[in-house]
Amino acid sequence: MGRGGGQKKEGPSLEIKLGPLMLKNPVMAASGTFGYGEEYAGIVPLGNLGAIITKGLSLEPRKGNPPPRLAETPSGMLNAIGLENVGLKIFLKEKMPFLRKARCPVLVNIFGARAEEYAELARKLSEVEGVAGVEINVSCPNLKAGGAIFASEARSVHQVVSKVRRATSSFVMVKLSPNVADIVKIARAAEEAGADAVSLINTLTGLAIDARTRTPILGNITGGLSGPAIKPIGLRMVWQAAQCVRIPVVGMGGIGSAEDALEYLIAGATAVQVGTAHFIDPKAGMKIVDGIQHYMRVNDISNLTELIGSLKVRRDSGPVA
Amino acid sequence: MKIHPREVKARILLHRRMASDYFRLRLLCPEIARWAQPGQFILMRVNELRDPFLRRPFGFSRIFLPKGKRTKPEDEGVLEIYYKIVGRGTSLMTQLREGQRLDVLGPLGKGFWVSEGQKRAILIGGGIGIGPLIPWAEQLQRERRKRPPKSLEESPEVFVLIGGKNRDKILGMRELKKIGCEPQVATEDGSLGIQGLATDLLERELMTQGSKSASLYACGPMPMLARVAQIAEQFDLPCQVLMEARMACGVGACLGCAVKVKEYGSGGIPASPEPAAAGERIVPAGECGEGEMGSAKESVIPVIAEVPAFRYARVCKEGPVFEAKEILWE
Repeated sequence: MGRGGGQKKEGPSLEIKLGPLMLKNPVMAASGTFGYGEEYAGIVPLGNLGAIITKGLSLEPRKGNPPPRLAETPSGMLNAIGLENVGLKIFLKEKMPFLRKARCPVLVNIFGARAEEYAELARKLSEVEGVAGVEINVSCPNLKAGGAIFASEARSVHQVVSKVRRATSSFVMVKLSPNVADIVKIARAAEEAGADAVSLINTLTGLAIDARTRTPILGNITGGLSGPAIKPIGLRMVWQAAQCVRIPVVGMGGIGSAEDALEYLIAGATAVQVGTAHFIDPKAGMKIVDGIQHYMRVNDISNLTELIGSLKVRRDSGPVA
Repeated sequence: MKIHPREVKARILLHRRMASDYFRLRLLCPEIARWAQPGQFILMRVNELRDPFLRRPFGFSRIFLPKGKRTKPEDEGVLEIYYKIVGRGTSLMTQLREGQRLDVLGPLGKGFWVSEGQKRAILIGGGIGIGPLIPWAEQLQRERRKRPPKSLEESPEVFVLIGGKNRDKILGMRELKKIGCEPQVATEDGSLGIQGLATDLLERELMTQGSKSASLYACGPMPMLARVAQIAEQFDLPCQVLMEARMACGVGACLGCAVKVKEYGSGGIPASPEPAAAGERIVPAGECGEGEMGSAKESVIPVIAEVPAFRYARVCKEGPVFEAKEILWE
C-alpha cells in the first residue's frame, strides 16, 4: 500500500494554484469527514492528498449534539454532529504535531458564535507552524447560534470574512451553504471581503423520520445531507458561482469518483473536496487523484487549467440569466 | 503495538441461515483475522453499489487465526459474523453468495480485556449479541488451559448465559459447548431453558453461586445492557458492555457514533474500599429497588444523584467495549 496513489514521475501535472496556495493536486479531504488526519493514518497515505481540512474548530471545546447523529438516506446520509471538537488549545497541543508530519498542506476549518471569535481563531492559527490557512465555516446547519445565521445573509458573510481577513495574512477560504436563495450574492460578498477562495457546497438541511414511531431519526431533528444524492445541486451552484467571482471556487458535494471530480472541474471548480465518500472508501481521495491523472493522460491534457470551467454550453441553451 | 486497520477484499467462504432471520457469514481475510480481538468489529460494504450507502459494522462470532499448516480454508485466517435482518442493508445481505468478494475494513475499535482479579468470567448474551462473546469465551478458555494444572482453581472459570425470544433464537450453543462451556439459557416463551431473560439468569447465578471475584461481559439489546450494568453495580462487579450505534467511518473521524459517558471516566465513581462480601446481602429478584442496595454502595449514590457531567465518546474508537460504569445510562 502507499506507492500506488499520488503522482507518477511522468505524465500530466496535477499541480494547481489556489490563490496564494500551491497544491500538488486538486483533491482535498473535506472538513468533518477526515477528523484530524490521524484517524486515517496507516490506512491512507495522507501525503497523496492535495490538502487536508480538519474538523470544524472553535475556541472552546464543544460536546456536540445528542445521538443519534447519523441517518442513512437514499444515496447519501444525514449528519447532525453539532460541531463537536476539541477546541483550539487541545488542537494545537495534541492534533497539530501529527498534522505537521502529514506532508500535505493543512487547512483548519473554523467557526464561532460571533465574527470576533472567527477572527481570533484565524489570528492565533496564522502563527502556528504547519497551518497553511483557514476555511471559514459560515454554513454548518446544525448549530443554532453559529454558522447558519452568518451563511444566509451576504452582509453577515461579508462582516465575518472582513474581520478574519484583517486578522490574518494566510490563506482564507470561505465554505458556503447551499441553503440560501442566491449563492452568487454570498460568493461575491466573500470575494469583496477579501477571501482567497470559496468552497461549496456544505450539506443541505434535511429531515429523516421513522414512520413507525413517528419520531425524527436524528437527535437534533434535522441534519445535513451529503453524498451522491447532492451532487447535481453542488455542480449547479459551483457552475453559478464560478462565473461570477474571480477568486477560485473549490467544489464539493457527492464526489466519490474521478468522474465526479472532473465534472466539478469542468463546471468551474479549481479544486475539489472529497468528504462523505471517505466513510465508504478511505482511499477515495487518492483514487480520485489517480483517476484525474489517467483522464488527463488519455485526453492529452497537460495542465489542469485546460479543464477548469471548460463546460461547453451552446449560446442558445439554458435559461437567459 | 498500534495495529492499523486493513482494507481488504474478503471472499465469502460460507453463508448460512441459522434461524428465521439470523444468518452466519464467513469471510476469508487473513490480514484482518490475525490481528482481530474479540469485541472488535469490521465495517463491510454489502454490495458494490452506492446504495445502501454506508458500510455496516459487525462483531466477530469466530476468529480463525492463520496457521502454518493449511489444510482447510479456515486455516488461512477467517472471520465469522452473525447478522440479523433489521433493515435494507441486512436484507440485501441475505442474497450474498459464497465466493463473492466484499470490501472489509478492520479490525476496528477496542475489544474485551480481562478484568483485574477475576476468578469467574460471566458472559451474558442477548439474541444475536451472543456472537461477539463466543470468541471471547474461547480466548478465556484457551488462557485457562495454558495455566499449569496446579493453579487451575485460581484461573478464571467461564460461564455463559444466553437469552432470546424462543429456542430458535438461541445461537452459538454448539460452538460454546465445543470450547468447553455449558451455557445456561433463558427464553421469553420458555421453549428452551428457563422462562425469562438473560438478566434473570445472571441474578440467579450471582445469588446462588455468590459474586466473589466475578466479572461480567455483556452484549445484546440496550435494555439488557442497562440492566446488566445495574446488576453489576449492585453486586459491585467489574462489567464490560459492547455498545452499538449508528456508524459511518468506523475510525473515529466522523464523530457520528456518539455515546454519553461520564465526564471523568471510570474515576467518576469512587470505588468502594471493600467489595461487598459474597452472599452477605442477597436481594431477591424483583425487589432490587434503589433502597435495597448494600451499604457498600452508599458512597456511590450521592455521585449519581448529581446532575451528571458527561462527554460523548466514539463507539467505534473508544469502544465498542466500554466499562459499564463509564456509560451514562439513560
